[in-house]
Amino acid sequence: MAAPVGNSSGCWGVPEVYKHHEQRKVCISRPKYREGRRAKAVKVYTINLESRYLMVQGVPAIGVMTELIQLCALYGVVEEYRPLDEYPAEEFTEVYLVKFQKLTSARAAKRHMDEKSFYGGVLHVCYIPEYETVEDTRLKLQDRRRYIIRAAQNKVREREQKEAETEEPTTSNTATTSENIISRHDQMPKNDNTAETSNISHYSGFPSLPLPPQERHYYGHKNQHGIIPTEDKMGTLHNAINNTKQPPAQSLSFSQTSSGRDRGTDHKQTQNPSSAVRFVPRTTHLENRKRKMEEAAEHSLTDVSGKNETLIGPKLPEPPKLDMEDESLNTTVNLIRNTMKQVASVPDVKPVEKKVKPRRRI
Amino acid sequence: MWRKGSSEGSDRFEYLQTLVTEFQDTDSEEAKEQVLANLANFAYDPKNMEYLRELQVTDLFLDMLTEENENFVEFGMGGLCNLSMDPDCRDLILQSSGISLVTNCLSSRREETVLSAITTLMNLTTPSSRSEIANPAILQCMLRFSLSESPRLRNLAAVFLQDCCTEEQVAQAEQQMQGQQTAVGIPLPNNS
Repeated sequence: MAAPVGNSSGCWGVPEVYKHHEQRKVCISRPKYREGRRAKAVKVYTINLESRYLMVQGVPAIGVMTELIQLCALYGVVEEYRPLDEYPAEEFTEVYLVKFQKLTSARAAKRHMDEKSFYGGVLHVCYIPEYETVEDTRLKLQDRRRYIIRAAQNKVREREQKEAETEEPTTSNTATTSENIISRHDQMPKNDNTAETSNISHYSGFPSLPLPPQERHYYGHKNQHGIIPTEDKMGTLHNAINNTKQPPAQSLSFSQTSSGRDRGTDHKQTQNPSSAVRFVPRTTHLENRKRKMEEAAEHSLTDVSGKNETLIGPKLPEPPKLDMEDESLNTTVNLIRNTMKQVASVPDVKPVEKKVKPRRRI
Repeated sequence: MWRKGSSEGSDRFEYLQTLVTEFQDTDSEEAKEQVLANLANFAYDPKNMEYLRELQVTDLFLDMLTEENENFVEFGMGGLCNLSMDPDCRDLILQSSGISLVTNCLSSRREETVLSAITTLMNLTTPSSRSEIANPAILQCMLRFSLSESPRLRNLAAVFLQDCCTEEQVAQAEQQMQGQQTAVGIPLPNNS
């Protein structure tokens, strides 16, 4: 909209100077430990105060609009801009509205441009959420929620990885011969931790495929704690049953259930005395493992596919790597990119053909 | 101010803990306001949300909603608005009777407080809490807000009405409103 509605200031037609645009007095009474680098006012930022729409005041009225917008464009794509003639401005200055494509760009622009000098004047940059449409507001809230949820999920994953990695050095099984790994994997105790159970069922779906070494390695990492005491037993059992193929370990693990479980849970509990007991839902483990698998697989795949492509034909140009300026977003983007690569490079899977018995023609 | 490092997480936690401690220990109203605002702003960054949860800052913010000092209410409500985006924090707030506390803030004279309250209510809407949130009183309040002079208030109320309840519920609330001559008693906030 061109001007804010509901103007009650009479005949001037000048929009109210919104309170939240005004600069507040800087706080001078902060104790050292919580003094920031820059003196700031006491104000709380919520998603309602932020917006893709920025207002820039204090632009010297010397015809530098283009330069201003160029400066803004350093922080992200500018969708729209116009002078806000109706807004009260100091003498010889202009006020502009700048609409960014993304809230993150607006945030960056505000952070960098506010209080900065510009062609002899000092810019005052603030958000103007009142210029949003209902749809703008809704999308803003949705994006924010999604971002938070993603960040929370990433954090859970990171923690799991850390836990898995910190478990390793505490055990004596640093040797990574394949036999050790196999036996470790086999004695996946079917304990109360539902994640472990899901581990087994997950892998039992691929009885005939040997697991790739990285995966087993990771597996071993993840489940160190429950396993050491039972290892020898399992190893012996494993040999006795004489499985040449890898994971019909389910039968083995079943037999180990009672002994493995108790030790598994006990061990698990003693491993985490300091941290509060956390229930990690099964799906997170699954997803985490899936992702690890995919990453491991993807590494091998991309090597292969790269070679194939140079042999067969011209390589498609890689899409430019987009930096989302945020760690968690970058992680997510990379995940998606890797998944897309994998999906694109895997050859068409032929459906398992049923053996068709030739029908007798009568 | 914070550099990434192996101890960054625990540094962060300790710093936040120091803030909470100062808030609890100090007698200075002004210092309390500053710390509260700090905490509420820290709550905006998802990196901090888990630590704030552990430090029971959700309860701290909820406690602020019944304070007389309007700044306390505004900052506490802002903090809740920020935290409630996170599902775990949201559940904590719901468990602590957050809905009724936040609803009371809809009658605040401070626009920021009201805006934060509306957003928080939207964040708190889950399949199980929906019926409590989309009740006629709140809906009527939102309907009045959607006629406000303030664009932000209008927009948020509109999003609430579209996303948190059904059209039938809105129609019902509208009918009830027309039936009443006087408003429900929730004054529109001014920009003071």
